Amino acid sequence: MIRFLLRRSLQAVVVVLVVTVDVFVLLHQLPGGPARAVLGARATPSQVAFFNHQNGLDRPLVAQYFTTLGHWAGGNFGFSYTLNQSVGSLMMQRLPKTLVLNLLALLLTIVVAVPLGIYQAVRRNKAFDYLATGVSFVLYAAPVFFLGVVMLVFFSQELNLFPPEAPQGDGVGPIFAEPRAMVLPVVTLAFLGIAGFSRYMRSSVLDNINQDYVRTARAKGCSSGRVLTRHVLRNAMIPIVTLIGLSLPTLFAGALVTESIFNFPGMGLLFWQAAQDSDYPVELGVVLVTAVATVIGTLLADICYAVIDPRVRLGA
Amino acid sequence: MGRRCMKLPRLCAAVVLVIAVLSACSARGAGVAGTGGAGKATNTATFALPAAVTPNWIWPFAAVQDMGVQNIAFLQQLMYRPLYWFGDSNGGPAVNSSLSIAQLPTFSPDGKTVTIKLKPYTWSNGEEVTAQDVVFWMNMEKAEKQNDGAYVPGQFPDNITSVRTPDASTIVLTTSEAYSQQWFTYNELGQITPMPTAWDVTGPGHAGTCATSTAGCAAVFSYLTAQAKDLPHYATNPLWQVVDGPWKLKSFNSDGHVTFVPNLSYAGPVKPTLAQFNETPYTSEAAEFNVLRGGKAIDVGYIPPQDLSGPKPAGAAPAAAGPNPISGYTLAPEYLYSINFFPLNYNNPQVGPIFKQLYFRQALQSVVDQNAIIHAASAGYGVPTNGPIPLYPASDLISSLEKANPYPFSLSAASDYLTSNGWKVVPNGTTTCVRPGTGAGECGAGIAAGRALTFDLQYYSGQQTVATAMASLKSNAAQVGITLNISGAPFNTLTGTAVPCHGSGCTWQMENWGGGWNFAPDYYPTGETLFLTGAGVNVGSYSNPAIDKLIQATNHDSGTAVMQAYEDALARDLPVIWQPDYPYQLTEIAGGLKGVTPQNPFATLTPENWRWSK
Repeated sequence: MIRFLLRRSLQAVVVVLVVTVDVFVLLHQLPGGPARAVLGARATPSQVAFFNHQNGLDRPLVAQYFTTLGHWAGGNFGFSYTLNQSVGSLMMQRLPKTLVLNLLALLLTIVVAVPLGIYQAVRRNKAFDYLATGVSFVLYAAPVFFLGVVMLVFFSQELNLFPPEAPQGDGVGPIFAEPRAMVLPVVTLAFLGIAGFSRYMRSSVLDNINQDYVRTARAKGCSSGRVLTRHVLRNAMIPIVTLIGLSLPTLFAGALVTESIFNFPGMGLLFWQAAQDSDYPVELGVVLVTAVATVIGTLLADICYAVIDPRVRLGA
Repeated sequence: MGRRCMKLPRLCAAVVLVIAVLSACSARGAGVAGTGGAGKATNTATFALPAAVTPNWIWPFAAVQDMGVQNIAFLQQLMYRPLYWFGDSNGGPAVNSSLSIAQLPTFSPDGKTVTIKLKPYTWSNGEEVTAQDVVFWMNMEKAEKQNDGAYVPGQFPDNITSVRTPDASTIVLTTSEAYSQQWFTYNELGQITPMPTAWDVTGPGHAGTCATSTAGCAAVFSYLTAQAKDLPHYATNPLWQVVDGPWKLKSFNSDGHVTFVPNLSYAGPVKPTLAQFNETPYTSEAAEFNVLRGGKAIDVGYIPPQDLSGPKPAGAAPAAAGPNPISGYTLAPEYLYSINFFPLNYNNPQVGPIFKQLYFRQALQSVVDQNAIIHAASAGYGVPTNGPIPLYPASDLISSLEKANPYPFSLSAASDYLTSNGWKVVPNGTTTCVRPGTGAGECGAGIAAGRALTFDLQYYSGQQTVATAMASLKSNAAQVGITLNISGAPFNTLTGTAVPCHGSGCTWQMENWGGGWNFAPDYYPTGETLFLTGAGVNVGSYSNPAIDKLIQATNHDSGTAVMQAYEDALARDLPVIWQPDYPYQLTEIAGGLKGVTPQNPFATLTPENWRWSK
């Protein structure tokens, strides 16, 4: 296990470095460049040159990369060109909000989708299964911005049950002070996950429910509930664990559309706005965090396989 | 199995029930987000910031990237008053002598000596606003001109040969040459914001010397820059609490939530009556609109054009509003003092020779149907641009020629311009040059026989009004055989592409970034930054020696005649292709809140004028 973790950690470092090199090079290939994007159409050539010099953008690309790498190694993510704040402080503002939003949505997704998928499998080809499948397809196909607007119009403006925006203020404190304001964004974000996860769960349970080991368990006298919870569920959860592992990057990367609709500035909006403005330090900082989250998510998923499925040996 | 499994739906039902109960419980306990605004009840007002924009630079000395309206209008000028305030009480673009903290300048007969007399204002720490505070700003400008976004080489402060302060409330400037009084007041003195002695420091408790000597400015600049970058402490930093404007910071959150309270020592003509003025940030126009529709959190906000319920009546004045879908609010379009256009690249080796022909520019301008675009793209909200002076808000600078529009939409006129200059016009086909040469009635220098009128035009893809305008232009141009290959691109691609260039690499043809030009902080609409040969922002390299002389005259000769001569010449010569100018925003004002209109054409806010009706 330790050898496996060490090997994967080294691989992770290489992957993250390759991602940063790719992104760094690609960013600098974009037409326009940050000076024009940040300074706007009014900027004179001398102001553009001054900006580039101040920010080291007139240096060779390789030198810029290694300078940035050195700063990262020292925990310095740089300073935003447009927001007048360090990238570290910006991420400290946005990341907790994004994590809470996405974790709550993921939690709701699992809590609803896993039982739903199991029940659909058990009651396959019955009215409830057809209904749930139809709703899942609709939710899966509907764009998040559309779902968000429908939720807002119905639950906020028509029924006046929930506020039209997420809790406002710094950090996660306001979220817990005003949980009702989180309901619409969390539910909107969870819809897509519920639709997807429940389909995976239904399919996975169906795959397992007709296996020999299930028949054997039943033949030995296990109750249906025991077969389902002790035997089928554990095996059927493997694809869900994969999905959860793959969800980890999105927990950090944010949910751009949901954040935008519900006035909840998180990591997704931070990156999107930075991309609009060619704010390289912010873009690179968010990419770095997301890349690290991705490799950690994949690693955790692999470890979970071993816990769930005894056939998997990590050290092999 | 069946009986056991029946527990699953019960489990689901239980989960749903728990969520519903939690929601209901929290609903009873927490109240609806944003309902605290309730401006009238609390005698406060909440202003919705533009989408995805938050104030982030408090010091009224800023690099170009920090000179956005969110910093100047929504943060700095509420607390730190500029020497001269622009935007009069009628919503016009003139200097506002009432809100300025200095009397209008007086000029010596030779025009080279300018005397400024300060009004009796005080800083909130009890000190008077003195001439030395003006000199402090000017010294900083001299020492750190590269870090001032408004600096233009050769102009302020390069053209100031001496600064004297004969008494504590008088500043006397001597200039290297005589300038237009209006231009000097608006575009040079308009940059100045007096800075308090409390800011002349190099660290806590360490006095600086920038107010008396430019040599001491580098250290002060370094310290104040560091403080200005410390957003979380704006409201608690003693530096920024020294104000001479009507408001001071109560709280500042770097996510854009800002709260101001009245500065009780403000000496200006109108004292705040609101107990508090709030600014709230929004991630998108849609997010702001959702909150606005709730009607409980925003007192002054805006409606996205796509959410209007219908167009305004044809022929209505620019300030008039059409149907308003938000009940309880008054709709009031807000226009900036701006013009809209897109540049042509005169130095493009392929198409530059065509662009240099006035008849071609006349033909291209004649296929721009500005009124139709305003109606189709912006529900009737917009003002045509016919020349270099904004047609709205009204000013005495607008000439009758520009107002009348020398090149109204006319496909037949466009066709005539081309046919009478050697082109065979093929409607919905390809118009080609059939009479090359430089004589009368011929295509012009550098244009070969058979040359087609086919061009590439990139436009800003993030703005529906621009996309609609470009689609309209392409369709109209095709009717006189001009082919426009239009394509959308991000803003920074356009501004990065549309730069002055020469030689074979100078390949861009037409670029429309959608924004045109806002006259701030160059409040006087002269053309030295836009249309003068070699000017930094003359991106298309337009050059006309006769126009250059007229532009120079607007900088040096006072009065409206010289401005109208420049204006008429440029309206006729079409250095760029004029485009409709759209409102800055469609403002929504809560019922009962008075004093918000007329809105300032430079987007500055004066919430000290706002009050709730009884």
